[in-house]
Amino acid sequence: MARTGAGRKSGNPDNPGNPPKVADDLVLGRLAFGPGPLPERLHLRDVGLRVWLAEQLAPPEGDDPDCAERLAAARLRIRYDAGKAPGPEFPAVDEMRPLDSLAAPIAQLWPLTDYKRPMAGPERFRPRSEVAVACLIRAVHSRWQLREVLVDFWHNHFNVDASQMVQVNVALPTYDRDVIRRHALGNFRDFLEAVAGSTAMLYYLNNRSSRAGAANENFARELFELHSLGREHYLNEFYNRWRDVPGALKGQPKGFIDQDVYEAARAFTGWVVEDGSGLGGADRLPASGHFAYVESWHDNYQKRVLGVEFDPFQPALADGRKVLDLIADHPATARHLSGKLCRRLVGDGVSPRLLSAAADLWWRARRQPDQIARVVELIALSPDFARSSGARLRRPLALAAAFVRGTGMPFTATEGLVAGLANAGQRLFGWAPPTGHPEEAAYWISANGMRQRWQLVQGLMENRWGNGTVQPADMLEAPASSAGQAADAIATRLLGAGNAAVGRAVLAGLAVDPARALDAAKPADANLLRRVIAFTAMSAEFQTC
Amino acid sequence: MTTRRDFLKACAAAGAFAPLAGLGRLAFAAEGAPTPLLVVVFQRGGCDGLNLVAPVNDKPYIDARTPDLRVLDSGERPGLALANGLGSGLDFRLHPEARPLFELYEAGRLAVLHACGLMNGTRSHFEAQDLIERGVVNIADYARSDSGWLTRYLATLGERGGDDRRIAAMSANAGMSASLLRYDDALALPDLSGGVPLAGGKDAAAVLARLYPSGATDPVRQAGARVLARTALVDARLPRQPDGRLTPYAPPGANYENNGFTQGLQAIARLARMDVGLRVACIDHASWDTHDAQPGRFNGLVGQLTRGLAAFHRDMAAAGLPVRVVVMTEFGRRLRANRSQGTDHGHGSAMLVLGDGVRGGRMFGDWPGLDTPRLDQGVDLAVTTDHRHVLAEVLALPERDRAAVFPGLAARAPLGLTA
Repeated sequence: MARTGAGRKSGNPDNPGNPPKVADDLVLGRLAFGPGPLPERLHLRDVGLRVWLAEQLAPPEGDDPDCAERLAAARLRIRYDAGKAPGPEFPAVDEMRPLDSLAAPIAQLWPLTDYKRPMAGPERFRPRSEVAVACLIRAVHSRWQLREVLVDFWHNHFNVDASQMVQVNVALPTYDRDVIRRHALGNFRDFLEAVAGSTAMLYYLNNRSSRAGAANENFARELFELHSLGREHYLNEFYNRWRDVPGALKGQPKGFIDQDVYEAARAFTGWVVEDGSGLGGADRLPASGHFAYVESWHDNYQKRVLGVEFDPFQPALADGRKVLDLIADHPATARHLSGKLCRRLVGDGVSPRLLSAAADLWWRARRQPDQIARVVELIALSPDFARSSGARLRRPLALAAAFVRGTGMPFTATEGLVAGLANAGQRLFGWAPPTGHPEEAAYWISANGMRQRWQLVQGLMENRWGNGTVQPADMLEAPASSAGQAADAIATRLLGAGNAAVGRAVLAGLAVDPARALDAAKPADANLLRRVIAFTAMSAEFQTC
Repeated sequence: MTTRRDFLKACAAAGAFAPLAGLGRLAFAAEGAPTPLLVVVFQRGGCDGLNLVAPVNDKPYIDARTPDLRVLDSGERPGLALANGLGSGLDFRLHPEARPLFELYEAGRLAVLHACGLMNGTRSHFEAQDLIERGVVNIADYARSDSGWLTRYLATLGERGGDDRRIAAMSANAGMSASLLRYDDALALPDLSGGVPLAGGKDAAAVLARLYPSGATDPVRQAGARVLARTALVDARLPRQPDGRLTPYAPPGANYENNGFTQGLQAIARLARMDVGLRVACIDHASWDTHDAQPGRFNGLVGQLTRGLAAFHRDMAAAGLPVRVVVMTEFGRRLRANRSQGTDHGHGSAMLVLGDGVRGGRMFGDWPGLDTPRLDQGVDLAVTTDHRHVLAEVLALPERDRAAVFPGLAARAPLGLTA
């Protein structure tokens, strides 16, 4: 990609004039992983939301230099015992290793899927660990915060579970880098094809083993139901009566039925992975992990998808691509995707006006390379967004990242923290159902969820997972002379202005007199302040943004 | 009316309680008889009921699948023949990995149902699960059913929540089960082995109580306040050693394996032993979505599920705690396999009902057959029994409560599932 500098052309016909006044805490809470270092906060204050968005929505490809440096410097421990006969034999390992798989081509990692090679489990599943840790580093440090927020959104929308199937895990770095990150702000039709042809998705939803004759329907069903038109456009009541679906006879059915799933499954037969499979006779696919189209496994006969006839014997890949064209162009896809983005960025109370404007722009911009960025801009500049403060629950990743960014603690990403997030309900790249993590707040604030959310910030404060030590003095912009003053400053830094009462409630719970003299440089006082920080982050105010 | 105290005295006199268990831990229906604890096990992903229990000598069944996707009548791993099966001349057998459940069937504790499911043709996991958990058949019914079916069942027992000293419902999953939608007082507790400690040590309760005051109105504060009250309840009842450490849970004879599913089952059994009024518990078992490589995956799933359930059954029986366990899924799978050695989304499937008052050792349901014209859409096992009829009998729901729990459920002759 040739774009180098930040800054995409601003000016959105759907939001003429000045954007509504939006609190910086809301922007950084929702469109970033919480308010971070002072220069970042001052920058937003100086340039305003519209310019900030223009920058954030057109980042150069790849990481910003500071984040890239941190990723390159990161070391993640790998440790396992020696493998002994009668099982596979290999020496014990305990070392700090760089995140080498992030930039590796898939063919280089593919040997990890070969169970004939003796290897420890942590070696095989290393790619997922590295991508998860990189996700934490980027959430905390990336200059392109909004892209990180959207990458998280898209990883859930196009969910794959890399914790079970070794091939999905080996394909994860490529999926994260070349599919999700490359298209997170781009064009949805391009995005769909990148996903459909990705090794991670081909394994996760089984299309790689789908064959003419008895196609595997797993991918095709979720392509319609989750990736594009959405469950609300599954017209199950029409079963196999496709002609009865409103609009079908004009080639514009208002939704999809099981027959569309069956036919689309046929269209994607032959979309497979170079996994070393035999092709008949002495021919074999290479074992590279790359995408492959195998004509002899493709169902070449005529098909009918969404009321549109496909002629038999189309060129390579044409059937699948035509399905993607049809669904990307479908107004239901525009509504489903833009609505989901609205709810993610605004919360549940989205107005019909915004929903309709976002769907309209999504559809009109469907041939544009920055289709998604345009819709995100429209949402972020809407009055709905401006008045949505506190409307979204932070997921554990956002909770942890906001804590790290808010406290300014030096940060080392570890697998312990990845496990802490999983305990609180967010299994990075390890969520089994293709829905991605639930959108409903109820899932996250169950009794277990609440307890584990509190544990998450407490664990970070205690450096339970080796992520770094919180230095309360660094958090206080001016030295505090009393416990009350320090608690006020902590609450303001973590929760935004107007929340000093939370810090005072914490002190009261700890039975500490707010007038008590305090010196954050003293170990005992620093310890007290760490506890104040952790409890402040356990407050209801910090759970939402 | 028999009071709770009278009943307990009678039970104690009859020696019904194992010495381990304290008194006063049973839940009581309004009539005064003990209502067994209801445990709903949801096989997420769509269990291939035709690979779990099947007529092994049925020609259409044999023709449709390779032997590794079938229950077999002979060979190295034959299915376990079920007495009192369905149809005539059909040899229904249970998957060979399900031996622990087969033994419970033989002992008259387990009933097996087939061709059950949702009376809606959806092949979407998420829609099917949602409809089932709300206890309705069509999305149009959401308007009159904005709560989970277990929430409405609890209401028929007078359990509407709001009492900090009770935990009438739990989910042994990380998150809340949708069957308990709008029963906000349910506790999600996937694992009790480490107790329920609060983050932040000895001051945590005091600080968090100020941050999450009871009586708050926003959802997050309310959730926090409930957690504080109910975890304190559980924490106070966890057995401890003299040094204050938790006593590990090791019920004699139960022999739980160690995995996420059995951790959840043990959490249920432990809560059932506490005097907190537990009446329903949900637990998920996953993932049954075997689009590919089914033979190995299915073996593992059936083995883990059945050994877990058998251990739980031993645990509850030893404690003298009445229980009914229902095992259900969102749909069955296609009769014909795909070419990935798997099966795609289908329709009818099997259900299992285990425990006290169950007329076990027999199969229930109306077997529709597997000839193509008898199949739903020409491809899937038809549903001849609305799964809600099964649930209504398991709950022993009085007629007047049926419509409340399962809106629109038509009347039908009882299956006779419970004594």
